[in-house]
Amino acid sequence: MQKQSMWSLKFSTAALVLIPTAVGINYIGKLFAGLLKLPLWLDSIGTVLASILAGPIIGALAGAVNNVIYGLTVDPISFVYGITSVAIGLAVGILCYKGWLSSWSKAALAGLIVGLVATIVSTPINIGFWGGQTGNVWGDALYAIVLAKTDSVWLASFLDEIVVDVPDKLLVVLISFAIYRGLPGSVSQMYNNSNKFESLD
Amino acid sequence: MTKIIADNLKYKYPLSDKLALDNISFKVEKGEFIGIIGANKAGKSTLCQALTGLVPHFYKGAYGGKVFVDGLEVKEHSIAEISLKAGIVFQNPFTQMTGSKMTVYEEIAFGLENLGIAREEMQKQIDHAMELMDIASLKERNPFDLSGGQMQRLAIASIIAMNPEIIVLDEPTSQLDPEGSEEVFLAVQLLSRQGVTVIMAEHKMEKVAKYCDRILLLYNGEIIDFDTPGKIFSRDDLKQYGVVPPIFTSVCRELGVKKSGTDEYPVTLEEARAALGRKVK
Amino acid sequence: MKQISLYADRNSFVHDLDPISKLYYILFSILVPVILPSISVTLICSFLSIILLLLAKVFKKALPVFLLVFIVLITVVIIQGLFRPGNETIFLKIGPAVFYKEGLLYALKVTLRVTDIVGAFLILVLTTKPSDLVESLVRRGLSPRIGYVVISVFQIIPEMTSTMSTIMDAQRARGLETEGNLITRIKAFIPLLGPVVLGSLVNTKERAMALEVRGFNAQGNKTFLNEEKTSVLSKPIQLGLLLIVVMAFVWRLLT
Ligand SMILES: Nc1ncnc2c1ncn2[C@@H]1O[C@H](COP(=O)(O)OP(=O)(O)OP(=O)(O)O)[C@@H](O)[C@H]1O
Ligand SMILES: [Mg+2]
Repeated sequence: MQKQSMWSLKFSTAALVLIPTAVGINYIGKLFAGLLKLPLWLDSIGTVLASILAGPIIGALAGAVNNVIYGLTVDPISFVYGITSVAIGLAVGILCYKGWLSSWSKAALAGLIVGLVATIVSTPINIGFWGGQTGNVWGDALYAIVLAKTDSVWLASFLDEIVVDVPDKLLVVLISFAIYRGLPGSVSQMYNNSNKFESLD
Repeated sequence: MTKIIADNLKYKYPLSDKLALDNISFKVEKGEFIGIIGANKAGKSTLCQALTGLVPHFYKGAYGGKVFVDGLEVKEHSIAEISLKAGIVFQNPFTQMTGSKMTVYEEIAFGLENLGIAREEMQKQIDHAMELMDIASLKERNPFDLSGGQMQRLAIASIIAMNPEIIVLDEPTSQLDPEGSEEVFLAVQLLSRQGVTVIMAEHKMEKVAKYCDRILLLYNGEIIDFDTPGKIFSRDDLKQYGVVPPIFTSVCRELGVKKSGTDEYPVTLEEARAALGRKVK
Repeated sequence: MKQISLYADRNSFVHDLDPISKLYYILFSILVPVILPSISVTLICSFLSIILLLLAKVFKKALPVFLLVFIVLITVVIIQGLFRPGNETIFLKIGPAVFYKEGLLYALKVTLRVTDIVGAFLILVLTTKPSDLVESLVRRGLSPRIGYVVISVFQIIPEMTSTMSTIMDAQRARGLETEGNLITRIKAFIPLLGPVVLGSLVNTKERAMALEVRGFNAQGNKTFLNEEKTSVLSKPIQLGLLLIVVMAFVWRLLT
């Protein structure tokens, strides 16, 4: 079967409906992480799953909608970080398409890459918005130390973001991979648009 | 007037190697109430979806033969076009709510907005549908605040508002409590009396026997029989197709009581009462 | 039905304004301080947002959001005051900590900018029903399919949250450890999240089909049940805001 281009804009309705579901999963992931008192956000599992199931564009849309909704309901600042969510969706979708989500070790590597992408995109936003900080206690402590030692806002901000983002995205990608592997075929097949008509006449 | 024609319909889901429907041919006349019965996985849902274009347009897959609903060939028209001729209601009332509307009234409007119906016409059709489904008093309520039975009637109203000649229901009460089920069956019966052609897949045989004019028995994706409830439930081999006839039929069969002047067993309470009464006298 | 939106239903002229004008205002609040990056301009813009929040009678609802933002801003003040590169002029000494004027001024600028932008967004968010916002955008060419996606999130999240608490109880009843050391807690995550995810993915299929049979992919123009909310003020406000942005730009070029 010919695989459809990952950049196709012809979404199936199922793929579109996956977007609100993905945003819901992000939200639930964050809630469970809070309830279990985990030290990470784990709030992008839905975005990552959407990318794995339906490709980078749907993943990116899920990321964008996620932050718009978050901005409208909880914290207007998250509008600004929508760009990071979009980047996460794109990165996972591309990595997945290129076959990176096929084994645990590869998935772990993909998780590190996604964390790095998120960091690279977030750092300029942090600098533009907050002067470089992230609001995370551990990251900001590191930021203060690096800033005191090196005078480089960019380096300090980059490190501030990376210590939080990389572990988080690594775990998010691994959890999403675990869930994806547990899905029945009829569900994981539903969102790709590559099914073709055949005639039985 | 013939409303549905299926001519040697065959269908295979993508990534599946077995035909979910095979050699399906039948006709339905205007205003008939048709039941579809059969064991789990017999192909009831697949057939329902084939009558509304979801098979093959939603899934793709391999398709053969022809299906016409109200003169429209399903394979050649989009789901949106077919929805004006034949609507479908599913099992789970929750997943049928769009989730984008805050009131019952707006929820019903969703389909009409998509189809580009003018506002006055829209309001007329919504009012009519609410009246038929007896939900006018819930007009301003949030769809998700309704009971299962109310929500399912809202789902039916949302389809009815689009004015289809045919309505297909796939086990519309399987997720409802007895009270909600009764509400829905009565609502569907009312629709049927208005002249709408009704196709209903259903496991509750007592209801099928009570409401349907004819029953289509499916097994393994093929039609075993298509006949009146009396004929279908009087078959000796139902067990082999995973179908348990209505309790009245089983009892009468045990007692050897048939409907007068026929070779059929009673299928409803009324028929059983009449037949047994005769016997007792 | 639990509502997750921040929208507060009040009677005010800000509420009566159309959503698009409020979007113009956000653009204005972001652009003007960027074009004219002085503390006084940002201060004026921030004040304007706060006054509008007061006039819309939603300031009380805005406070918790500002509070959340200010907690982060406090760390900005501390770290920038202490460590910002270019810090020279000593402003304040508290024990071993030395705060510098340059860093503190920079932190003030960040604070004002954040207040300004957050305030502008809050005006939109607190005084506009999400469905009205999306419908306005759809009327102006946003794909109705994307509009649907955004709006449906507001109802799908409460639905999923209620599923979530059911599953939490069920898994605990089956003896799932949700307390203890970090590893135990991480291990509990998948059995909790997995069923919610599977259930909601299965639902997407039926919902997608239910949408399609209601003309979700219909060709041609869609109509709207509700008439569009417009105000005589909309056009003048939108033009006025644009004009100010342009004037700010010209001012910047000339001086
Ligand atoms: N999306 C799908 N992909 C592949 N095969 C499917 C799909 N949906 C159904 N099938 C298969 O098609 C056949 C018919 O299923 P269908 O759902 O139509 O049966 P049903 O009579 O409605 O059963 P039930 O009483 O359980 O609702 C089954 O073998 C089923 O496994
Ligand atoms: Mg079925």
